[in-house]
Amino acid sequence: MSRPVYVLGAGAHPWGKWPETTQLQMALDAMNAALGEAALGWPDVQGLVAASSRFQGGMGWGLHANEVAQAAADQGMACINVGGACAAGAIAFSTAYAMIASGQYDVVAALGAEQMPRGFIPRPPGSQDDPTDHDYLRWVTMGATNPAFWAMEAQRRKHDFGTTDETYARAAMLMRRNAQGNRLARFRKETGLEEVLGSPMVADPLHLLEICPVSDGAAAVILGTEAFARRSGAKLVQVAGCATATGSFGDPGRRIPTVSGSVRPGISSTSEVVTAAERACAMAGIGPEDVDVLELADNTAWHILAWPELLGFCEPGEADGLLASGAFDIGGSAVALNPSGGFLSFGEATTAQAVLQICEVSWQLRGTAEGHQVPNARIGMTAVLGLSSNGGSVILTV
Amino acid sequence: MTGASVAVPVVDGLFALVAGEARLTGTRCASCGTHYFPRAISCRNPACRDKQVEPAALPNTGTLYSYTIQHYQPPPLFRMDDWAPYALGVVDLGEGLQVMGMLTGVPLDEIRIGMALRLVIEPLYLDAERGEVLTYKFAPLGGEQAA
Repeated sequence: MSRPVYVLGAGAHPWGKWPETTQLQMALDAMNAALGEAALGWPDVQGLVAASSRFQGGMGWGLHANEVAQAAADQGMACINVGGACAAGAIAFSTAYAMIASGQYDVVAALGAEQMPRGFIPRPPGSQDDPTDHDYLRWVTMGATNPAFWAMEAQRRKHDFGTTDETYARAAMLMRRNAQGNRLARFRKETGLEEVLGSPMVADPLHLLEICPVSDGAAAVILGTEAFARRSGAKLVQVAGCATATGSFGDPGRRIPTVSGSVRPGISSTSEVVTAAERACAMAGIGPEDVDVLELADNTAWHILAWPELLGFCEPGEADGLLASGAFDIGGSAVALNPSGGFLSFGEATTAQAVLQICEVSWQLRGTAEGHQVPNARIGMTAVLGLSSNGGSVILTV
Repeated sequence: MTGASVAVPVVDGLFALVAGEARLTGTRCASCGTHYFPRAISCRNPACRDKQVEPAALPNTGTLYSYTIQHYQPPPLFRMDDWAPYALGVVDLGEGLQVMGMLTGVPLDEIRIGMALRLVIEPLYLDAERGEVLTYKFAPLGGEQAA
């Protein structure tokens, strides 16, 4: 049995640095906002799927859903905690979707909440000094930070397609411009070309303002059956497709934290995300050309150019021209790319980020994306990548 | 270990001098021929049934696939004497294997994608207890001999 699943409500705590609060408090704020939009209360929620973080909360066991349940609603819910690093939010969503589609539950929430440590993301505490562990080796043998991996992709793109430093800067500027009207974004000031190119060089060719920092934030989505979806009277937003995937053997992409690749010809880079997106499209019966809004994981300006090509929105090397022509703008001729402002304007709150992408798409389709609304958005898609080859993609339709 | 002349690898078993030449120690799948670095406990190729993996000294020359220059000092897990911005590269060693490592022996503004490189073993830092600590790097082929 499989039955249609709908987004009943979405909610988020604004992104930023919030040292005075806790990730649990932010999770509750996001859940309450989502319940409010759904016109539901805690007694209606039968299941809670949380993205597990390694940074804060979860009683050290990743029990983030249980923590929320014990704080807000001790009522016999199914609590499921899922790992998946930066893709965990998409995996939580897919799990919640399956719980409802299967007929087992009628209302299930997916949520992610995060308080991030400052600076470069360190190794997990207690990690062994294992000579076969890539994450250990990338630090001790060469000190390769996350931006270094992205920078090598960006450098290679310059070689392959002639992408210029100005194009990378303009990709970052698009994100800041989109975020101007989004009250949830952390960086909402329009940013000029000289400001981006004048920001400190982190790892050539990527400047500080072309790389996402880390932030604190939380987001929640309530999923449910059609009967529950009709309660709030809001526009029905259906889950048309959702999928998760691992990578393909031979993927040539630079995968954090791996210090090597065993590359095979004919395999796509970032194959975990490509496969997840293809599965989501197949499930929804659509192609990239049908998508009005795309929220992708822009860890850097390189991602804004490369991912639309990898995901089939345009041919390899075409994204530079589309960006320059305004085709990726809100109201542009191609897909609206990260109308939220993306990771570059939010900063990444790892496990919460993929849930926020889904919230954003839901608001765009409902027409409530105040200040950054894509006109007549009917089909929206998310794409996210998590550590250790986790890809996730969700497609919503109205 | 004592004595100033002692030199130790930053990680045991990662590289070795074989007949005077620096070689990375990895794994080769005898069943499907895939090379891995560092050592792998199994073959990742889903189509490979037998997965008979064995230690292998990997190719030690290749071409630069891409690179970057790190301008910010990495977290303390990475140690390096006289820290200054330095280059990291991805080197295509053939056999489908691409390996990341520090670049050495080339000015930062003369690094070019496609340049020929060879593996070298060089000091990373001097440790009061362990002595000189070595890592693997890639240097221009035909360039200066490594320390």
